[in-house]
Amino acid sequence: MPTLLELQRAVYRNLTARDDGATAYIVADEIDAAARLNVYRNTMIASLTTALRLSYPAVHRLVGAAFFESAAQIFIAAQPPQGACLDDYDPGFADFLAEFAPAAALPYLAGVARLDGAVSRALHAPDAAALDPGDLAALDSRDHGRVRLVPHPSVSLVCADHPVDAIWRAVLARDDAAMAAIDLGAGPVRLLVQRRDHGPEITRLDEGAWRVTSRLCAGRSLPDALDAGAEIDAPALLAAHLVNGVFTAFAVDRAGDHSIMEDCA
Amino acid sequence: MSPRSTAARAERRPIPAQAGIGLRFPHHQAVADTRPAVAWLEVHTENYLGGGTAPRYLDAIRRDYPVSCHGVGLSLGSADGLDRSHLERIGRTIERFEPGLVSEHLSWSVVGGHYLADLLPLPMTEEALDIVCGHVDETQDVLRHRILIENPSSYLRYRHSAIPEWEFLAAVADRTGCGILCDVNNIYVSAQNHGWDAAAYLAALPPAAVGEIHLAGHSTRRLDNGATLRIDDHGSRVIPEVWALYAEALKRFGPVPTLIEWDTNIPTLDVLVDEARRAAELLDPVREKATHANAA
Repeated sequence: MPTLLELQRAVYRNLTARDDGATAYIVADEIDAAARLNVYRNTMIASLTTALRLSYPAVHRLVGAAFFESAAQIFIAAQPPQGACLDDYDPGFADFLAEFAPAAALPYLAGVARLDGAVSRALHAPDAAALDPGDLAALDSRDHGRVRLVPHPSVSLVCADHPVDAIWRAVLARDDAAMAAIDLGAGPVRLLVQRRDHGPEITRLDEGAWRVTSRLCAGRSLPDALDAGAEIDAPALLAAHLVNGVFTAFAVDRAGDHSIMEDCA
Repeated sequence: MSPRSTAARAERRPIPAQAGIGLRFPHHQAVADTRPAVAWLEVHTENYLGGGTAPRYLDAIRRDYPVSCHGVGLSLGSADGLDRSHLERIGRTIERFEPGLVSEHLSWSVVGGHYLADLLPLPMTEEALDIVCGHVDETQDVLRHRILIENPSSYLRYRHSAIPEWEFLAAVADRTGCGILCDVNNIYVSAQNHGWDAAAYLAALPPAAVGEIHLAGHSTRRLDNGATLRIDDHGSRVIPEVWALYAEALKRFGPVPTLIEWDTNIPTLDVLVDEARRAAELLDPVREKATHANAA
C-alpha cells in the first residue's frame, strides 16, 4: 500500500509524463485505470491551456488554436504551475516559445509573448496607491542622493527586437491592414507596461528614457538613475512617471532590487 | 464602465437558506447592472487574489448580495503540506470581502510544488484522514473562519481505500468542527461512476454539519469500449434525477443555502437565475415550514 505522498507523486508522473506506475493503485473494471486517469489529465490540460490562452491572447491569435494547444500541451507537461493562482501562470511561456522549433518561422513570437505576459501581470497585479510627488518633494535635500523608488506591482519593462507593440495591437484588433503595414526590420522597441484606471497601458520609451526607467525600477538611487539619461530631460521623465502612477513608494538609503528590469543592452 | 471601489464597506452578511448562483467573470457587468433576483452569490476565491478590475466588481456587487468564497486550489489533501503563501493570500482575500461562508474541497491538486489544476480524489485511508484533518485545522486557524468541505465528483477509486467517502467526510467534520458542503450533483455523478447508492450517501451525512448545497449539470462520456462515465463539467442544466436527489437532501437536512454552479459553456445570466428559481421552488416551502415549526 503506497503512502499518500508516494501515490500523489505517481499520479503526478502519470498526468505530466504518462508514467503508468499509478495504475497499480487504481481499481480497474470495465474502465481501466489508464482511461480513468486520462479524464484528469484532459481536465488539467484543458484548464491550463485556457489559462495560458487568457494570458497570451495575441500569441493565440498569431499562431491559431491548433498550434497554440499543441505548444501549450508540451509546455504544461514540462512546466506545470507552481501555485493554484492561475493568473500567475506562467512567465516561462515566452522563453519556452523562444526555443520552440516549430515557432521559428515567427521570430517576433517570443517578444509578443513577453508583452502578452506583461499585460496579463499588469491586469492582475495587486492594487497599490501611487506615490504622491509631494511626499518626495518634502524630503530633506540631504536625502535626495539616497532615495530609491518602488515601482507599482503592475509595472513591467519589456524590450524586443521587433515592433511587438504594433503587432500586439494589430492582431488583437484583427486589423489586417495595420498588420501588413508593420516594418519588422524597424529595430528594437523598449516598452513600459502598467495598469491604469482604464486598463493596461503600453508606452514606448526611447533609449535614454529606457535606461533611466529601468534603473529607477531596479531600485537604483535617484541620481544614479537620472544620470543615465544625460541626453534627455530626465527630471521631466521622472515627473511624468510619478503623475502616471509608475511608482508607489520610496525608501531612503536601502538596498533594493525589484528584479523587473530586463536585460536590454 | 467598471465600478470604482469606495471607502464605504459592506457588512459581513450571512448566507441565507435560499437559492444563489455562482458569479463568473462574464456576468460581472450584467449582475452589477441588473441586480438579478437571486438571494446570494458565490465566487471562486482564486479568481480574486490579485488587484485590478475583478475585485473592484466584487467590492461593488457585495454591497447588494451576501457573498460566499469557494476555494478550488488549497489542496487540503496534499501529503507534503499546505502552500502557506497561497493560504495567506486566501486569508487576505477573505479579510477584504468578508464572505458569509468559506469553502474548499475534499481533494488534492498539489504535489512537490506543482499544481495539477484539477480536484483529484484521495485514497480513503486513515493516513489521508489525518492529513486532511490537520490541514482543515491549519486552514481554520489561519483564516480564523470555519470552513465547509465539499464532497468531490470522481472518476476513479484506489484499491487501498478502506473508508467509505461519506464516513470520511463525516469524520473530518466531527474531528475538526468544519462543516460540509454537500454537492448533490457530485454525489449523483460519483454514485453513477462507482455503483454507490446516492440516497445512502446522503443519509450517512450528519445533518447538523451540512451548511451549503451545490447543484450543477454534468455530462455523460462514452468511452471507446462502450462504457460510460459521468463527467462533472458544470456545463448544462441540473438533470431531473439530481433535482429529485436535492428534494431528498432538503428532507434530510432542512433548509440549507443552495447554489447553482455553471462553469463551462456559460449561458446568459437569465438561465442561471432560472435554475436558481427552480431550486427555490423546492427550497422555499421547506424553509417556510421550518420557520413555522420554530415559531410554534
